[in-house]
Amino acid sequence: MQAADIVTLLVNSLTWAMATFLVAAGLTLVFGTLHILNFSHGGFFMIGAYAAYSIADALGGSGSMAVYLFGSLAAGVLVALLGLVVDRLVLRRLAGVEDAYVLIATYALLLVCEGSTKLLWGLNYHSVMPPAVLDGAWIAGNAVLPKLSLFIVAAGVVVFVGLEYFLNRTGPGRLVKAIAADPWMARLLGVNVRLVYTATVAIGFALAGLAGGLLVSNQTLSPTLASAFVIQAFGVIIIGGMGSISGAFLGAILLGLIDAFGQWVLPGLPGLPFFVAMTLILLLRPQGLMGKAKH
Amino acid sequence: MHTSRFLGGGQRRDHLILLALMLAALCVPGVLNRGLVFIAGMVWINAVFGLSFNLLFGLSGVLSFGQAMFFAAGAYAAAVLTQQMAVPFVAALLLAALVGAVLAALVGVVALRRSEGVYFAILTLAFAELLHLLIANTAFLGRNDGLAGLARPSLGFGSWRVDLAAGDNFYYFIVLACGLLIAFIRWIVDTPFGRALQAIKQDPERAEFLGIPVRLHRLVIFVLAGATTAAAGALIAPWAQIVTPELAHWSNSTNPILYTLLGGSAYFWGPVLGAVVLSAVFYLTRTLVGMSDMVTGLLLLVVVVSLPGGILGLLARWTRPAPAVRARVAIETEGSR
Repeated sequence: MQAADIVTLLVNSLTWAMATFLVAAGLTLVFGTLHILNFSHGGFFMIGAYAAYSIADALGGSGSMAVYLFGSLAAGVLVALLGLVVDRLVLRRLAGVEDAYVLIATYALLLVCEGSTKLLWGLNYHSVMPPAVLDGAWIAGNAVLPKLSLFIVAAGVVVFVGLEYFLNRTGPGRLVKAIAADPWMARLLGVNVRLVYTATVAIGFALAGLAGGLLVSNQTLSPTLASAFVIQAFGVIIIGGMGSISGAFLGAILLGLIDAFGQWVLPGLPGLPFFVAMTLILLLRPQGLMGKAKH
Repeated sequence: MHTSRFLGGGQRRDHLILLALMLAALCVPGVLNRGLVFIAGMVWINAVFGLSFNLLFGLSGVLSFGQAMFFAAGAYAAAVLTQQMAVPFVAALLLAALVGAVLAALVGVVALRRSEGVYFAILTLAFAELLHLLIANTAFLGRNDGLAGLARPSLGFGSWRVDLAAGDNFYYFIVLACGLLIAFIRWIVDTPFGRALQAIKQDPERAEFLGIPVRLHRLVIFVLAGATTAAAGALIAPWAQIVTPELAHWSNSTNPILYTLLGGSAYFWGPVLGAVVLSAVFYLTRTLVGMSDMVTGLLLLVVVVSLPGGILGLLARWTRPAPAVRARVAIETEGSR
């Protein structure tokens, strides 16, 4: 294996890692605060991607960077609004329901997402061109660095830094962390816990929609997008420790590397290293690499 | 909110219900067309799939999101044994159940030891996806295309032979085999072992103190459910005449969950009713892509959010206004006086 191959492999695995982290960030935020493992997160990510695709289409194609970024942000806002509806109609009623039923309820939501996507956009596959600025690649020696990949890696890092800054350095963010740690005590101190829960859901869903918009040209759009990505995101937050943003970030990078190098060693079995790693972590360290022992 | 006791009728009443269902099912080919007979056969298989899942969920309080791995294992075992090794079908059926039991024992030994609740659910999902990937990448299992053109077998006992490929014979065989499997599952519920599982579901810690080996009991029921699930899977191979890796995909693991919750997880017959209702939903919405997902998802949401007893719970509420609640209201009004 030459240096150029290693660079290509690294770029590929980091792209996979940051794409998955973009999806996993909202998932782990909602789990950390509301303790709801949200199967439908992948569904809302998919709706974000389709929405960004339609927005770009309506604005005359995805050729310009401005349209691409606007479409992604608009998808984020749209999915955040959907999140408010879901919070009102479903999530609020799940307080006090057994974990197993909560997991099943969010799976039901995933089915609703998939059904609506099929009804609204059909079963056809769509592919979206990246904006002209991100089309093509940089060549460094023998290594090829696709611009879109580098952009996705950068987007992942920006979202990670932004979320960590919000949660650790701003008042509202610290409130979210406080409630995640002890909702009962927060309520005693006069915090409107319900409002913070709703805001967390909105942020988590906005991240799903934003991820959909940003990854729309990295993926082929089809109704199977949701279930594929939600399992990847589950793997990432399990490895990192459910509820931890930095855990999800590191877990994504680790799984990306494992998957890429695993495929290099075992080219006949794509995806296998991912599930082996996920299974091993669940068995050996169920709280994840960064999580505190709780279960 | 959730009924913790597992509700069946007496074993005799449930046997009568089973007999009535089987007799009704035997009339199906006389009344309905071939397409609907095929669906009726699938409903029987799915009913066993759902009942097996509910042995874990409703009876024992264990949520598995990976039951498709046993279903697929049974289907592939039956396909390979009959097609590539010329094993007689009934023997293949029993061997398929054995494959399911062994696989469940392997998965259960590691998974039940290390995890509970949502973690166990995700772990079983990951194991099932591992099997899915292995099947989809194994040459002699047909990779992504699966194994097609599976013949329906013939049964022979001495000089007596039945060709199950002829007419609706295999449908009758499915009704008979599923009836036996359902009777077996019903029997498990009523054994002392089944009672112990209900105790474990209500309070694992207390059950442990009472001397019930909680982990061993969970493993045994996981193995039994794996065996009956694999037997159901083995029946689908000659019925659909094709097995594909999709059988092991995690979305197939959610099917028995849907049947069970929709029908009512606290009731023995819940998964059966759920399988019938969902098959009807799929049939009625088959022309409108996406509608079946939509309807299934919304039904399931309603059940989890406001109707945790499922359809049977709703029926029970209608037919019998709960006396316990009335008594409590009476006490409360008395207290306020």
